[in-house]
Amino acid sequence: MAATFFGEVVKAPCRAGAEDDEEEEEERRRETPEDREVRRQLARKREVRLLRRQTKASLEVALLEKYSCSRFIIAVGNNAVAFLSSFVMNSGVWEEVGCAKLWNEWCRTTDAVHMSPTEAHCVFYHLKSNPSVFLCQCSCYVAEDQQYQWLEKVFGSCPKKNMQVTVLTCRHVTDYKTSESTGSLPSPFLKALKTQNFKDPVCCSLLEQPNIVHDLPAAVLSYCQVWQLPAVLYLCYTDVMKLDLLTAEAFKPVLSSRGLKGLAKNVPQSTEILRKLMTANEVQSNIYT
Amino acid sequence: MASRYDRAITVFSPDGHLFQVEYAQEAVKKGSTAVGIRGTNIVVLGVEKKSVAKLQDERTVRKICALDDHVCMAFAGLTADARVVINRARVECQSHKLTVEDSVTVEYITRFIATLKQKYTQSNGRRPFGISALIVGFDDDGIPRLYQTDPSGTYHAWKANAIGRSAKTVREFLEKNYTEDAISNDNEAIKLAIRALLEVVQSGGKNIELAIIRRNQPLKMFSAKEIELQVSELEKEKEEAEKKKSKKTV
Repeated sequence: MAATFFGEVVKAPCRAGAEDDEEEEEERRRETPEDREVRRQLARKREVRLLRRQTKASLEVALLEKYSCSRFIIAVGNNAVAFLSSFVMNSGVWEEVGCAKLWNEWCRTTDAVHMSPTEAHCVFYHLKSNPSVFLCQCSCYVAEDQQYQWLEKVFGSCPKKNMQVTVLTCRHVTDYKTSESTGSLPSPFLKALKTQNFKDPVCCSLLEQPNIVHDLPAAVLSYCQVWQLPAVLYLCYTDVMKLDLLTAEAFKPVLSSRGLKGLAKNVPQSTEILRKLMTANEVQSNIYT
Repeated sequence: MASRYDRAITVFSPDGHLFQVEYAQEAVKKGSTAVGIRGTNIVVLGVEKKSVAKLQDERTVRKICALDDHVCMAFAGLTADARVVINRARVECQSHKLTVEDSVTVEYITRFIATLKQKYTQSNGRRPFGISALIVGFDDDGIPRLYQTDPSGTYHAWKANAIGRSAKTVREFLEKNYTEDAISNDNEAIKLAIRALLEVVQSGGKNIELAIIRRNQPLKMFSAKEIELQVSELEKEKEEAEKKKSKKTV
């Protein structure tokens, strides 16, 4: 341990490898059955469960192994979810096919088992007129240890190659690494990242290095790259992370992409629906004026 | 790297950043948009009104405040910080009048506010003020002024500027549309401010608040009806312009 000038206590890195090994072995020896039970319970609590619609029964097989899928659109985050709700889901009849229930430290409730229906944060739909088109509205945070489970339960262990995946998500503009100052960036703006097998044109510029993608969208894209699925991620950098009209509207160019073609019918009406959604969800806060 | 140099305000990072000041500028972007325009004979301040809760008294949510009879300001950012800065500025305006028997110049009070903000970027245990301000008014010489301050304590004179959420979009609009002709006429300057705000305000005229100061006249706050009138005039002009365009193409 070392102390800095500001009174912080930081762990000093130790290169004496032998010392560390001994410490780790001692810790393992110290683990009691109670520790193991706690660890098991925590793993059970953090399990990702994929449930059939309207019932509490779990899906026996992965979602996309049970149904055939040609297009899979995933919205991660409240602005992407609001965009798909207003532009895509309001333009057709979508049927809920399942939902993913998961609990982690970011959830507002401490009860992992009795989460209310409104807290099923990952909902899966398919288009009634074309059941091979799937949509996922994910407004919760999927933790790193849960992402692999989520992918397995949704995509399965051997995904079909004829499926195209489109992911929409947002990130704060201060995460965007560029030589320009963030004040001069035209936020919100879109950037795209695609897998090797994605051959269609993208509707915005590609994400430049050294920027990286995080969380569930990164997990989905990595999975698609490994399994050689054509997938594209549209990432909106914005300076307003809460539900915001300009940010949600920044996804509009994606409507012309192959992944979402033909799914949005009446754009002016959808814009109006989005506007109403924004005002309905506005949280009254007097901190900022 | 940022996490080791952003906890204490008085620490520079190795590449010369004061992260707390930069984070304070992010807090400003959380406030709704305010736009200021300096005309030839008028100064205009327009703000996006935040929607007020049903049971809240609208009069207590104000973004445009008078500092003295001939100076007013609009702010964007933390409401409480703005209240403190405005109170100090108002006291300074009166103190100056009592001491030197002259009203403050717009530049003087702007410099006072900017100096106050800068002190808070260099003191231990304090954080910067999370507000940017647009200060407008007329000096005794009859020249209109518009200044902008930010959390770092800098201040600059502007012909037209915007602060708060979507300020960049509004500033780009002003850069394209601010001409000497546009601001020579008082009414045109007011219309320019409203047009700039309508670029980013979501529900039109009813979410806009406007204030003007004319030479040798006190601050005038526009009523909702007056703003609606201006907005409907603008819409008519837009329709006529579009009709002319379609006639030309035909």
